[in-house]
Amino acid sequence: MKPLRSLFLAPAAALMIVTIAVPLAIICFYSLLTRGAYGGVERPWTTENYRLLFDPLYGAIFLRSFWIAAVATALCLVLGFPLALFIARSGSRKNLYLSLVILPFWTSFLIRTYAWMFLLRDTGLINTGLQAAGLIHTPLPMLYNDGAVILGLVYGYLPFTVLPLYATLERLDKSLLEAAADLGSPPWNTLFRVMLPLCAPGIRAGAILVFVPCLGTYLTSDLLGGSKTILIGNLVQNQFTAARDWPFGAAASLTLMAVAMALLFAVRRQGEELL
Amino acid sequence: MKRGLALYATAVYVFLHVPLLILAVFSFNASRFTVWRGFTLYWYQAAAADRELVESAMNSLIIAVGSTVLATVIGTLGAYGLWKRGSNWLAGSLYLSLVTPEIVTGVSLLAFFQWVFRFLDLRLGMHTVILAHVAFSVAYVVVVVMARLRTFDPALEEAALDLGATEWVAFRKVTLPHLAPAVAAAAMLAFTISIDDYVITSLVAGVDSQTLPMAIYALARRGVNPMLNAVSTVVIVALGAIVLFSERLRSA
Amino acid sequence: MNRRVFLMSVAGAAGCGGGVPRLNVYNWSDYVAPDTIPGFEGEFRVRVHYGTYESIPEMLAKVMSGNSGWDVVFPSAEYVRPMREMGLVAPLRHDWLPNLQALDAAFQHPSWDPDLRWSVPYMHGTTGIAYQRSLAPQPRAWSDLWDERLRGRITMLDDPPEVLGACLKKLGYSLNSGDPNELRRAKQEAIAQKRLLRAYLNAEVRDQLVAGDVGAAQAWAVTAAQAIAAARGELAFVLPAEGFARFADNMAILRESRRSELAHHFIDYLLRPEVAAKIVQATRTATANGAAHKLLPPEIRENPVLYPPPEVLAGGEWFAPQSAASQSLRDRLWTEIKSA
Repeated sequence: MKPLRSLFLAPAAALMIVTIAVPLAIICFYSLLTRGAYGGVERPWTTENYRLLFDPLYGAIFLRSFWIAAVATALCLVLGFPLALFIARSGSRKNLYLSLVILPFWTSFLIRTYAWMFLLRDTGLINTGLQAAGLIHTPLPMLYNDGAVILGLVYGYLPFTVLPLYATLERLDKSLLEAAADLGSPPWNTLFRVMLPLCAPGIRAGAILVFVPCLGTYLTSDLLGGSKTILIGNLVQNQFTAARDWPFGAAASLTLMAVAMALLFAVRRQGEELL
Repeated sequence: MKRGLALYATAVYVFLHVPLLILAVFSFNASRFTVWRGFTLYWYQAAAADRELVESAMNSLIIAVGSTVLATVIGTLGAYGLWKRGSNWLAGSLYLSLVTPEIVTGVSLLAFFQWVFRFLDLRLGMHTVILAHVAFSVAYVVVVVMARLRTFDPALEEAALDLGATEWVAFRKVTLPHLAPAVAAAAMLAFTISIDDYVITSLVAGVDSQTLPMAIYALARRGVNPMLNAVSTVVIVALGAIVLFSERLRSA
Repeated sequence: MNRRVFLMSVAGAAGCGGGVPRLNVYNWSDYVAPDTIPGFEGEFRVRVHYGTYESIPEMLAKVMSGNSGWDVVFPSAEYVRPMREMGLVAPLRHDWLPNLQALDAAFQHPSWDPDLRWSVPYMHGTTGIAYQRSLAPQPRAWSDLWDERLRGRITMLDDPPEVLGACLKKLGYSLNSGDPNELRRAKQEAIAQKRLLRAYLNAEVRDQLVAGDVGAAQAWAVTAAQAIAAARGELAFVLPAEGFARFADNMAILRESRRSELAHHFIDYLLRPEVAAKIVQATRTATANGAAHKLLPPEIRENPVLYPPPEVLAGGEWFAPQSAASQSLRDRLWTEIKSA
């Protein structure tokens, strides 16, 4: 009967209203208010915060975050595809290989970021090893730069591309590949002209699953980037804590969300379900 | 081509796992630096003796268990409701909670709580953290349970109804058992997400609700520290065990 | 307040309320000895929840809401007046702080709180340059941190007033300048330094100095002293010729605290000469407690890093609170520096 079904939805609905809808509404309001003398929010209502975001300084921050997220996503896709292909073709051992990919992912993201801090330091394992092998004489500065941040992001989010790519590859109709081969297509050609287009849903899913979190990343740039660069995630966090400028932080958060939403909308295709 | 792929796969697996192994190995190093000086359990003892560290681990467990139970129940019911009746705006808001960057979820919840506290005499604490964790876990539970629901034949439920069962009984005795593995997997998922969360928790935690990730972050910010290696190894082993156990359940 | 009566009332409260009374203390990291907190807990039969922070903005963010749950915090001198104006701190009752007289004469009437109504000085120090002795020539001034030869091995503090302060001093201006032109020039200096900079690090630079990763670092005297003690003669500390910052961390009780009396007892406990002396020996800090200073062994008491002679200290400048406009400009300049 109808009432029971609604009852099932009720707790989830209530939760969503309280924890998603209302907070986001509050953030919307805050973004239009002014910063209090020592923090907090107060009237007057203003669009100053959004105007401020158009300042080239913040545009540069958004661009830089985009760039890092894009590179990390591209690397995740490129590195993840061959692995997904390998797992899809591995026959009976599929589950084992999948588990091996999932396992590091489930251990704490924070810890995995710390692991790279440990390895990349000037006196960390990699540098000590290279020096001991006589390959370098002074330590390579591998930590505290954009490269380290991208490495940390790729390391953290690689499984997010492997899984959807694997799912699409597994369902791929092998006969299509055979047909291409029969028609004389060399393997590389088949890869780029047949296989990849067929994997488009998996690629899209993987790209979104990696790009959006990377865009808003905060921990990785903080620990591996040496606090030298500000990405959007750091900017927002900073406004809500140290800088105590909640209205501006709110405006920046909403802009970040709008960008993420726009991207998701752009890659959506007809017929693909939301959940 | 097959050989090349296998070689490549091995390289990637090494890349994924070796850093964690190294972290674990050096947690037994009798020196603070990356020079091996002998095997010792000192860092593990130091970690166990650190009262604040142990307290944050306890807090993390309490929060994880509490939020997992709530999220799994709400999520399973929600997924079932969505499957039977559908609700665009609920599906939409669940999707929204999935794709919203963590930092945005965190600051919006912080703003919300501080606004509510103007009317109620409350402060940030365990309850706000648990509520926040339930908020971002529920969508994951719904996704996992939904996936399983799609493989369920509604005719089975119809048959039960035709035979005179009420909706609730049909759900409990016919659908739920079929869903059980997915519910269990979703619960594990919610648990690991909760245990690992830093960004949202750090924003909404109170004085008495310091969690393990917060303690780890505080240590990590002060630089490399073998005690942190020890804590990390314990967490890796514990979470790894949960994941393996969950995989067993899923394939059962 | 008679201690026995207090203990009895605490016991009574514990009996009714259930559970041991708690005190929440929020302090800088590495600022107490291992036995300091357990000693207080044992003597007063309470539980102390001891949290740490790495910067004042971090502490303020938590405390500003007015219902954070913390009781005792340790603001730096230039934050005492702003915190008072925000209504965050409670006035202190000197009759509950008998050990106040243990304070060093120089800190009995500090410029930021002459009557000690709101704060009690705890530790003080300077900001200078910590460096590897092996460097040649050895750093003597802030401008040495812009040296090409040290590329990739320089760190600055992750602290806007400190970084802008060093740049201002390098240009010959005042640490607390609110002049937009001077501040903008300081910003240019900081941006110019970024390509040589390894990272912005606070106390975490200590381990990297000891490990040899870092050649020269803008560091607090406390951090430098701890690193020097750990590195057996490889490190040194210098107060730059152009001038440097002086800071003092103070104890304060938050207005929201419902355990004001217990908080006072905690502050008084930290003022006890023997307790303060033990903290200094464990953490290599410079205490504002004159009586404790006398109890220290000579190698610490006369440590030039922690306790520079007065003629050297004269070259230092205390941080002062900024006007709202100046603070806004500094915040913005810091964002520009970080995103450059």
